[in-house]
Amino acid sequence: MHEAAITVERTGGSAVVHLHGDLVVASAREIYQTLRAVARGREVEHVVLDFGDVGRIDSSGIAIVSVVGKELERQGKQLELTALRAAHRAAFELVPKSTDQPPAERAPGALERIGDRVYGTRGNVGSLLGLMADVARQSLAVMTGKRRLPAASVISQISRMGVDALFIVGLLSLLIGMTTAFQAVTQLQRIGAGVFVADMVGVSMVRELAPLMTAVILTGRTGAAIAAELGTMKVRSEVDALAAMGVNPVRFLVVPRMIAITLVVPALTLIAMFVGMLGGMIVAGIELEMPAVAFWSRMIARVDLGDYVHGIGKSFVFAWIIGLAGCHLGIHGGRDASSVGSATTRTVVASIFFIIVVDAVFATVSTMTRYP
Amino acid sequence: MTAPLLECRGVACGYEGKPVLEDIDLAIDRGEIVALLGGSGCGKSTLLRTMTGLLPPLAGEVLLFGEPLYELPNDDRDRLLRRTGTVFQLDALFSSLSLADNVALPLHELTSVPEPVIREMVGMRLALVGLAGKEGRASTSLSGGERKRAAVARATILDPELVFCDEPTTGLDPVIAAGIDAMLLRFRAVLDGTFVVVTHELESIRAIADRAVMFAHGAIIARGTIGELSQSPDREVFNFFHRIPEQPLPLART
Repeated sequence: MHEAAITVERTGGSAVVHLHGDLVVASAREIYQTLRAVARGREVEHVVLDFGDVGRIDSSGIAIVSVVGKELERQGKQLELTALRAAHRAAFELVPKSTDQPPAERAPGALERIGDRVYGTRGNVGSLLGLMADVARQSLAVMTGKRRLPAASVISQISRMGVDALFIVGLLSLLIGMTTAFQAVTQLQRIGAGVFVADMVGVSMVRELAPLMTAVILTGRTGAAIAAELGTMKVRSEVDALAAMGVNPVRFLVVPRMIAITLVVPALTLIAMFVGMLGGMIVAGIELEMPAVAFWSRMIARVDLGDYVHGIGKSFVFAWIIGLAGCHLGIHGGRDASSVGSATTRTVVASIFFIIVVDAVFATVSTMTRYP
Repeated sequence: MTAPLLECRGVACGYEGKPVLEDIDLAIDRGEIVALLGGSGCGKSTLLRTMTGLLPPLAGEVLLFGEPLYELPNDDRDRLLRRTGTVFQLDALFSSLSLADNVALPLHELTSVPEPVIREMVGMRLALVGLAGKEGRASTSLSGGERKRAAVARATILDPELVFCDEPTTGLDPVIAAGIDAMLLRFRAVLDGTFVVVTHELESIRAIADRAVMFAHGAIIARGTIGELSQSPDREVFNFFHRIPEQPLPLART
C-alpha cells in the first residue's frame, strides 16, 4: 500500500487527473477535495480520470467517483475513466448505483406544529382518561372478587415504594421542620411571640410541607421508577406478552402499583408531619428553651382535625397524580431506547407540575370556603 | 500459503471462570465463509464474542491478522477490530438514529471521509442490501428482515476484511433468509471478504458455507466441507444434518 497522490494536467477545456496509490478511506478527503475543485473549474468541460497507477480501490473510492460524476453531470460536463484494470472495473460493476434520495419533506410551519401539539395533547388526554377508566374497572373487578389481584406484587410494591423510602422522607421532614422552626423563631421573637412557633410549625407541616415534600420525594423515587420499569417492559414487548396471554396489563401491572401508592403516600405523609413537628420541637427547645410539653400542648390546641384531613386528603390526590403519570407515560411510551428516558423525565416534570397546581387549588378553595 | 486471518490456539472461553468451550484450535483463511454450527447453548456465540474482542479467553490466545488480540494495548486492538465487522444476533441498530445514520456511524466516528462521499457510500451500501431509498426511515420502523440487512450494511460499511455474523437468518422467513444468504455471497464478491457465520439453519449453511466447524460438549466434534459433514459417521453430526432427534419421541398413544 502506498500513499495516494493526485496530479492534474489541463489542456484547454479538458482536465486529466492522474490518480496514484490506493483509493481508500484514509485518502478519501484529499482526493475528493482535489477532484471537486477540478470539477468546479469554470473552463473545464471534460474530466478524465486516469486509473493507470491506482492500486486498491474500496467503497469510498467508488463513492467519490460516483459523487464527482453526478456533480459533473449536473453542470453538463463529461467524465471519462481511463486505464481501468480488470479489478477496478469489477469493483465498479459490482456496486449498485445509489438511488437519488427523495427530497426531504418540508419542515412543518409554526401553525402546523401548534396543531400537531393540540392533536397530540388530545390523544394523550384521551389515553390517560382511558387508563383511569380501566384502572377503575379493573379495581372494581378485583374488589367484587371477579378477578384475582396479584397480591404478592402489591406487597412488594408497598415495601419498595414505602418502607424503602421511610428513611429519606423522615430525614428530610426533620430538616424541613427544623428549618421552618428557625424561620418562625427569628420572625416571631421580634414581636415577642416566640411561643407561637409551635402553631406555625404545626400548621405549615400538616397542611402544606409534609404532603408536598413527601409527594415530591416520591415523584423522584417512585414515579420515575414506575415509568422506567413499565417503559422497559413495553420496549421488551412484555406488556404485549401479557395482553396476548389474555392477562389484562392494567390489572397485572397498573392496579397493584396504584393500590400501593395510594396507601404509601398518605402513610408517609402522616409520618412526615410528626417527624417535622419533632424537628420544630427540637429547635424550640434549643432556641427558646421551650419545654416539650408546652410545645405539644400548643400544637394540640392549634392543629385540629380539619388540618389533618386537608393534608392527608391532598396526599391521596398527589399519590394518584404520581401513579397515573408514571403508569400512563411508561405504558404508552415508544419502543426505542430513548423513550424510556423521556417517559421518566416527563413523569417527574408532569407530576411535580400537577402536584403544585393541585396544591394551589386546595389552598385557594380551603381559604375561600374556610373548610376544612 | 498466507497466514490465516484469524487463529484460535488452545482457546478456552466462558463466563465467570467457567469454560463453555475448551482447547479450541481454529484457523480462518482469507476469502472463505466458515459456518460455526452446534445446538443451542453449545458455546458458538461465546466463541464468537471471544473472536470479536468482547470476551477475553480463559486460556490460549486469539491471533487476529497475525497479532495477539488480547495482548495488544487498547488502541492497537481497536485499530485491528476496525478491519472487522460484526453483525449481532439482535441487530443492535441504534433506535434513536435513522437508517442512514446507523449505517454511516462508523464512517462519521472513525474516518475523515467528507459528508457527500459518506452519503454516496451509504446509498450504495443500502442499494446493495436492497434498502435503497429508505435512508431517512427511523430504524424502529423497519421490519425484522430489513433490520438484519441494515445491520449487515452497517457492519460492512468500512469494507472489513473479516465479517462475523451471529445468526444472520434466524427467525426470518425462508424467502428473506435466502435473500440474506445471497447478499452475503454478493458481499464476498464485492469486498473479497471473509465471513465467520454462527448459525443453525441447515438451508443457510448449505447455501453459503465453504467449510463448517461443529461444536458440542465443550469442544469441536467435527470440521470439514458441508458434503463431508453431512455424511459423517459421527452419530451426533449426522443427526444434526439430517434433523434426527436425540431420542425417539415417545408416542402419545399406548
